[in-house]
Amino acid sequence: MKQHPLCTDNEHAENVLGLPIPTGLKQEWMALENRRRFLGRAGKVLGWAAMASLMGDRGASGDAHAASTPAAQGPLSPAELKLPHFAPKAKRAIYLFMSGAPPQIDMWDYKPNLAAMYDKDLPDSVRGGQQLTGMTAGQARFPIAPSHWAFKRYGKTGTWVSDLLQNTGKVVDDLTIIKTLNTDAINHEPAIMLMNTGNLNPGKPCLGSWLAYGLGSMNDNLPTFMVLQTKVNPKENNQPVSSRLWSSGFLSSEYAGVGLRSGGDPVLFLTDPNGVSREVRRKMLDAVEQINRQTYEELGDQETNARIAQYEMAYRMQASVPELADLSKEPQSTWDLYGEDAKEPGSFAYNCLMARRMAERGVRFTQVYKRGWDVHGNVTGTLPILCMETDRACYALVTDLKQRGLLDDTLVMWGGEFGRTVYSQGGLTPENYGRDHHPRCFTGWMAGGGARPGITYGETDEYSYNVAKDPVHVRDYNATILHCLGIDHNKLIYRSQGLDQKLTGPVTANVVQGLLA
Amino acid sequence: MMNVKELLAGANRQLEKLKKTRAAGIVKELAAIADRLLPTSELTRAVWLASLVFSVALLLLPLLVKLDGRPHADWEQFLGRFHPLAVHLPIGFLVLVPLLELAGFYRPALREAASFVLGLSFVCSLGAVTLGFLLAFGGGSTGAVVTRHMWGGVALTIGVLVCLLARPFWESDAVQHVYPWMLTCLLLVLTYTAHEGGTLTHGASYLTDYLPAPVKHLLRLGGTADEATPGSFYVKHIHPILDANCVSCHGAASTKGGLRLDSYGQLMRGGKDGAVVVAGNPSNSLLLHRVMLEPSDKQFMPAEGKPPLKPEEIAWLTAWIQQGASPTATKLAGIAIEEAPEELPMKPVGDYSALMAEIAQMAAGQGAKLVPVSHNASDGLILNTVDIAPTFNDAQLASLQKFAPYVVEAELGRTAVTNASFDTLAKFTNLRALHLEGTAVTGDGIAKLAGLSQLTYLNLSGTKVTAAAAAQIASLKTLRHVYLYNTPAQPAATAAAMQPIARSAQ
Repeated sequence: MKQHPLCTDNEHAENVLGLPIPTGLKQEWMALENRRRFLGRAGKVLGWAAMASLMGDRGASGDAHAASTPAAQGPLSPAELKLPHFAPKAKRAIYLFMSGAPPQIDMWDYKPNLAAMYDKDLPDSVRGGQQLTGMTAGQARFPIAPSHWAFKRYGKTGTWVSDLLQNTGKVVDDLTIIKTLNTDAINHEPAIMLMNTGNLNPGKPCLGSWLAYGLGSMNDNLPTFMVLQTKVNPKENNQPVSSRLWSSGFLSSEYAGVGLRSGGDPVLFLTDPNGVSREVRRKMLDAVEQINRQTYEELGDQETNARIAQYEMAYRMQASVPELADLSKEPQSTWDLYGEDAKEPGSFAYNCLMARRMAERGVRFTQVYKRGWDVHGNVTGTLPILCMETDRACYALVTDLKQRGLLDDTLVMWGGEFGRTVYSQGGLTPENYGRDHHPRCFTGWMAGGGARPGITYGETDEYSYNVAKDPVHVRDYNATILHCLGIDHNKLIYRSQGLDQKLTGPVTANVVQGLLA
Repeated sequence: MMNVKELLAGANRQLEKLKKTRAAGIVKELAAIADRLLPTSELTRAVWLASLVFSVALLLLPLLVKLDGRPHADWEQFLGRFHPLAVHLPIGFLVLVPLLELAGFYRPALREAASFVLGLSFVCSLGAVTLGFLLAFGGGSTGAVVTRHMWGGVALTIGVLVCLLARPFWESDAVQHVYPWMLTCLLLVLTYTAHEGGTLTHGASYLTDYLPAPVKHLLRLGGTADEATPGSFYVKHIHPILDANCVSCHGAASTKGGLRLDSYGQLMRGGKDGAVVVAGNPSNSLLLHRVMLEPSDKQFMPAEGKPPLKPEEIAWLTAWIQQGASPTATKLAGIAIEEAPEELPMKPVGDYSALMAEIAQMAAGQGAKLVPVSHNASDGLILNTVDIAPTFNDAQLASLQKFAPYVVEAELGRTAVTNASFDTLAKFTNLRALHLEGTAVTGDGIAKLAGLSQLTYLNLSGTKVTAAAAAQIASLKTLRHVYLYNTPAQPAATAAAMQPIARSAQ
């Protein structure tokens, strides 16, 4: 009986990769091989018979699969992707992510008129039938809670900044403050996912992964995308932050963020155990690589290549990370700037200092997570602690980058996943009040490469509840960030699940020209 | 006396009689016309009745099926989109009718044709109105212009119908003037409706955009946003003030007091209280008056506790209005605004594509990388040495001279290069940014870089650059950003007092 072309005996067949045929065909074959293995395991002969009859001739001629798309041919280099699309202002970026949502009214969005409205009800027309979270939806009243802190003017621009941020206020002329960020989600997980990946649901690549994929590495010895988590302060209301946020989604796992631990060894098991020299380690890795290459040739799974690359990166990091984390050569002026906190690994100040050191060493994207901003029922109790931990470090990072000449081509971003309400969650007293989640407007800032310094962009209404002028949706914000790094958000595309996927998603996103230098 | 009375009474009687006979004459005449007009046969009566019912139905249609601004069935939109095409048929026919009627004075055969064309134009008008309604309803269009255009179309169709009915009386000389007047009115309605339709497709200012400026001024059509020329004082200084302080309440989204300040045209148009800017007359300009009140004043602008305009901003506004509130003037007498120097436009470098193979070879060999700035070859290359920084020295840099004209940025931070490299770097003629931070350079001989016409960024932080060497840097005229942090030339600042966090205020 004549065999169906798809049913060749794999064990004894001639290896296609050895045939003198074009490499494109070989890649196509490997993609097919991979799929075959999977289906073979799943259904064996019966599956193949069904498959062959369903696909008919198309299956046999090989154009029923997606081998001709870039995705199936493995990752493309930035040069092949034709990136950057234009000369970028920023070569790298640092994202200070304030997980939990900082209250904009107490920090940036100055609303002096609210003081006169203390404990008055927020007009229903302002909320406009909005669905609230379960935490405040049942409240009988929505009493207005003015900020507990006074604001002062800072810098040449005379920007109003809360007394909580007296250090950040000093660099306000270098910041691009956006008062009108707005998002689609009212709860942490979808909102933080949207900020990071452009999609409410997990599974999409995050901003850092897109940058790593699109722009590639500047330093072969360090990961392109690094994540620093700040140690948890139990006095604060901490929402979980998971590695889904720095996942590479459908992109190769090479582009996922590499997390440094907040305590002890920055990377676990990075140091060789006693008795294992670097030579022995090298030999071992070479042998593992050979095995992996055989597996790849047999199965053609791109993830095997990603694994090889990650082993190699880990080996190089054995040398580069200790140098990166060695702060002994920092001059005294560093500690004067960042404060003594920065000597303690895992503190926010330490992470900001590390972010600067990574920027110097060519890490493309560093994301620092600071949890605990979910202040809910106790604003006056926890907000000063949070600001004490972060205010000086933010100031120090911007100042440090600026004095070292790095701010010209480094984009710094600060912000959370949404804002907080003007009305009090729970009881409102002269001493304390609460603030619930608020997606309709929140404040974030950018500084450095590509951003227009010394401006405040957008306006909110008198309650800091709705956007009055110049809204910046998350997808527009992400499009703007990509623009600063030389990327046209409509052109950085990866085909997955039959769609041309991009960070900004299917809805039209616009670069916010008013934010650009 | 009696005589006079009698005379008067007699005169009155005469008058009454005269009136009666005249009135009787008019009534008779009207009756005669009515006799001629009123349908005599069953058929004409039916036609008249049908026309009346049809007209009422056409009038009621838009009232019963309202344009709700929501898109409806696809087929409605599909058919509706033929409206702009079909609408030109009745227009053409209707213009032809009076021409034929006039020409009919000389060639009677043409007058007979007029009747046919009029009938044709009724059928076409009906079709066009139907398609137009489908377009507006199906596509979800609403708005004043759409409504006016729609009613114009309805009126036109009914008018054509009435003309069609009136024409036989005119032709038979029974009623002379009704039809010609009807036809004239019809042409006016046609012009109006067609203009509204044109406004819908082309925009309101389509006809007048290129009207000669003096005529425009005469007609007071001036002041569209386009009139404010880029680079003018208005665009650079006035508009940003209004945009930052006023437009959130006086803009497209919220138009308080009917006033919009988001374009030059809107600014000059004013609001409900009339003009806010009187060119050449600051003291009569409401805008200035309101921003210069006491902030406690109820009428003070910007309202709602927003910060008042800065004194210089008020000065600019005043001067601008005083000197004619021009949308084009680029400079104002007595106002000098210091502007930040514009970034140098990037000079394109030559195409390095031919060297790519060599560049790749070099990266694999000694480890220094030349990375394209962007996809455009003319943006140049970045010299990246971070992977081999501790060993990258003057000799290696010198070996890269072949690529020198294409390198726009040299990242030599923390490498082993020394002052000796200034000679080499002087040949990197397109260099824009030079990183030497953390190297052993002392800055001696840095003046050799004076020939680099594109160099704007120089980073020497963390080096041993002395104050004497730093002085030489002043000879590099193109530099915009120089960093000397943590060098003998600029010792690191001593600990600055950090602000403690205010636990409470207010």
